[in-house]
Amino acid sequence: MNDISRQMTDQNPNVIALRLLKKAHNRDGLPEIAAGVIFLLTAGLVSLQVVFQPGSPEYKASAWGMVLLIPTCILGTLWVIKKVRRQFLIPRVGYVEQKPISRKRIGIAFSLALIVAVTPVFAAHKGFSPSASWNLLGAGLLGGAIPALGGRMPRFVIGGGLVMATGILLAISGVTEQVGFTILYGFIGLLSVSSGSVVLWLLVRTPTGGGE
Amino acid sequence: MGTKIQQLAGIDRVIHEPARLMIAALLDAVIEADFQYLRQATELTQGNLSAHLSKLEGAGYVTIEKTFRGKYPLTICRLTDRGREVLDKYRKVIKAAF
Repeated sequence: MNDISRQMTDQNPNVIALRLLKKAHNRDGLPEIAAGVIFLLTAGLVSLQVVFQPGSPEYKASAWGMVLLIPTCILGTLWVIKKVRRQFLIPRVGYVEQKPISRKRIGIAFSLALIVAVTPVFAAHKGFSPSASWNLLGAGLLGGAIPALGGRMPRFVIGGGLVMATGILLAISGVTEQVGFTILYGFIGLLSVSSGSVVLWLLVRTPTGGGE
Repeated sequence: MGTKIQQLAGIDRVIHEPARLMIAALLDAVIEADFQYLRQATELTQGNLSAHLSKLEGAGYVTIEKTFRGKYPLTICRLTDRGREVLDKYRKVIKAAF
C-alpha cells in the first residue's frame, strides 16, 4: 500500500482528495508560468510609474492597466491553462473535468480582492500610510508565505523563501516604493516563469505512459 | 456511542479499501477524469489502478467509458449516483464512530 493509500484510513478522504487535486494541478508548471507572466506584467506597469511623472498619460495608463488588465488576466488564467492542457498535454497529464467553482467562493474571492485593493487607498486618504520599507517588507513576506504554505511542494517552499528574503533586502535597502515593487514583482515573475518552464520541460521530455 | 461504533461492522468493504476510497474521493471532487489523470494523482501502478477501477465498476460505483479525443484514446471514469451515496454514507459512519 503506498503512502497516500495509508493516509486515506487516517484522515478525511475529502481533504486528501483536494490535496491530490492541487498537486495534480501544479504538476505541469502551467499555473506557475501564468502567475509569473502576470507578475512580470505588473512589474512592467509599476515601472511606468517610476519612469514617468504622475499625471502623465503613461502614468495614468499604468494605473488603469493595474485596475483593468491585471484582474482580467487573473480571471482568464484558469481558462487558458485548461485550453492548453486539453490541446497539448492530455497524453502527459491526463484529462479531468473539474466541478465549476461555486458562486459563494467567487464572491468571497472577489470581496477579499476588493478589500485588499481598497484598504491602502482608504488608509492613504485618512493620512495613514506606512513607509515604503514596511510595504515592501509586508509584500515580500506575504508574497513568499502564500506559495510556501499553500503550494506544499519543495519548489514552492524554496521560491517562497527567496521572495521573503528579497522583500527583506528591499525593505532595508531604502529604495522608493515604486522601484522596490518593480524589483519585487519582477523577481517573483522571473522566478515563477523559470520554475514553471523547467517543470513543463521535464514533463514534456518524459515518455508518455499511455492510456489503459 | 456503542451503536455508532457497531455501525462500522456494516461498512461497505468495496469502498473501505484505502486505494478505492482514494479513487472514489477523487472522482467525487471532479465531474470526470481519465485513467492517466487518476494514475498520476493517486500514484498507483497501472495494473493496481485498473484492478481497483474494475472492482468499483463491478459494484456499480463508477462508470468507465472508452472514447477518443482526436486520435488519443481516453478512458473516462465517473462516480455514479450510487457511488456518491455509498461514499457519503461511509463518511458519516466513520465520522460518527470516531
